[in-house]
Amino acid sequence: MENNAVTVNNVTHHFGDFVALKQMSFAVKQGQTMALLGHNGAGKSTLIKIILGLIKPDIGDVSLMRGLSRDSSNVSLQGVPARLGYLPENVSFYDKLTGEEILYYFAALKGVGKAKVATLIEEFGLGYAKDRQLKTYSKGMKQRLGFAQAILSEPDILLLDEPTVGLDPHASQFLYSKIEALKQTGCAVIVCTHELSLIEPHIDTAMIVAKGERLALGSLTQLQALSGLKIQLKCEGLAEIVQKEPSLSRFYNNQALHFDRDQQDQVVRCLTSQYGKFVFSIMDPGLTEIYRHFMAESESSHQAFTLTPSLNAQSKTSLKSRLFSPFFGMKNV
Amino acid sequence: MFNTSLPLFRHSPVLIIAAKEIKDGYRNRWISYISLIFIVLSFSVTFAGSAITGTLALPELNNLITSLSTIAVFIIPLAAILLSYDAFVGEDESGTLLLLLSYPLTRSQIILGKLIGHGSVMLLSTFIAFGGTGVLLVLLGEDYGAIETMLVFMQFILSSFLLALTFILIGYLVSLRVTEKARAVGSLLFVWFLFVLLYDLLLLAVLVADFSFMNQTVINLLIALNPTDLYRAINIMAIGDQGGLSLFDETFWGLEGLYCSMFVWICVLMVIANYLFRRKPL
Repeated sequence: MENNAVTVNNVTHHFGDFVALKQMSFAVKQGQTMALLGHNGAGKSTLIKIILGLIKPDIGDVSLMRGLSRDSSNVSLQGVPARLGYLPENVSFYDKLTGEEILYYFAALKGVGKAKVATLIEEFGLGYAKDRQLKTYSKGMKQRLGFAQAILSEPDILLLDEPTVGLDPHASQFLYSKIEALKQTGCAVIVCTHELSLIEPHIDTAMIVAKGERLALGSLTQLQALSGLKIQLKCEGLAEIVQKEPSLSRFYNNQALHFDRDQQDQVVRCLTSQYGKFVFSIMDPGLTEIYRHFMAESESSHQAFTLTPSLNAQSKTSLKSRLFSPFFGMKNV
Repeated sequence: MFNTSLPLFRHSPVLIIAAKEIKDGYRNRWISYISLIFIVLSFSVTFAGSAITGTLALPELNNLITSLSTIAVFIIPLAAILLSYDAFVGEDESGTLLLLLSYPLTRSQIILGKLIGHGSVMLLSTFIAFGGTGVLLVLLGEDYGAIETMLVFMQFILSSFLLALTFILIGYLVSLRVTEKARAVGSLLFVWFLFVLLYDLLLLAVLVADFSFMNQTVINLLIALNPTDLYRAINIMAIGDQGGLSLFDETFWGLEGLYCSMFVWICVLMVIANYLFRRKPL
């Protein structure tokens, strides 16, 4: 795709005998946010390091969009490398330096002027503490400083590793509002996080990885469809309605109706037109449920392998490919 | 003082990193502490060294440099090690090494920047302490020629600086290899013990044993294989002192040869540090 900011193509990487990443492929478009989700040790950090160019993958390649001209509406400049912004997980800057000195240091390394630093300090509400040493900063202030560092050069691609860990809801909301603003400028954002409910409203796509493999990739709607998780509808007096209406009874379980998206119209029409129910709540499966679903599926397939040691390598591969084929077969959006 | 808005600093990543290291050294009070230790050492040897003989008199320049170098050879490597042990493992632990590597910087630039920064801290400390001693000697003593004294002290400061650079780089090697700061400190103290204490004892034992293969070339080589011995040899040679170990007096490489050996040490350690940094798992 022409407007892909990051394209990861069939990347496989080993650390000795350990396979950290297996045939990983995805793309993130300009102005999109992708959540990179997975358990600890799933390969997320390795993937980030490969995108940053810190690790060369054993197989596959990564291509990054060329730098954009901010003044000429996304005209690609030949030979200009992509501007990368990166916020590592739990980064602890230099305790003895002030917040302003730290930003000046990183700005100087990126060739960014002092004026930009001053603007960012004010924008991130750190003006009152800019002359204080970092050791006096709270976790939230440090994280804001780290985020300001990541966007010093107005990046084309922003990689954030657990940006909201340990932050209060207000501070997390602040960071995501900044991400939203960056997206508007065409910046592609990849966020590694375990705080799924926080990131859910802000993502365009999500990729779920486990044991170095891609389990699922797509928009929230696509992931909902891919997971097969049902939509949940609750309303008052549902139990009585279900007893009267056989077409709804098959959806009824645990005081709610559970149905697929394509059955939603039918269910809602039935409730409104036949039973006059206009007050009800419909809940789509959230990112947390989707994540749990794929993780459980991955875990059970892993257990299936370990419980069948007599399978030869070929049949293992075949079983595995059958289990995961819907996800591997999925095209990036 | 280390204004990164200066064009030179703004455009050279090496100097930007060096300036940050100097600022860090200043804030961590490294410059103050190291300078203070060197001042106490230098002043006590210079102005109170004769007390053990029951008199208080200023020493001859040759004797003073011999005494200073004998004690400095213990302290300078130790200070350099303490300054550099967490240069990489510390940044690795705090996550800033990964961040720096994501910047448009080469690993050589990071090493060189740190070396210039840490080297400057050591140079400044030695200059304040030993330079100050030289100035005081000229001011207080009657038998010290100003130019001769300052030249002798400049040479002493230069050799001390080179010794410090060597041990800063040894600190980098260990810092690049280990994964914990505590292990870096432990390993470097062992290296310090090996170079500063043990090596000379072993060398002396070999000389006393009078092996048939021990000729002047082998002795020169053995001296060149230890930067602290090179440092002693440089200072003894520079002042033409006859009171030092005859082992060093007999070195026929000359002062230039000894300085060259020190530069070879620094270059080789730089190359190894670059190699280790390139291979460091991230």
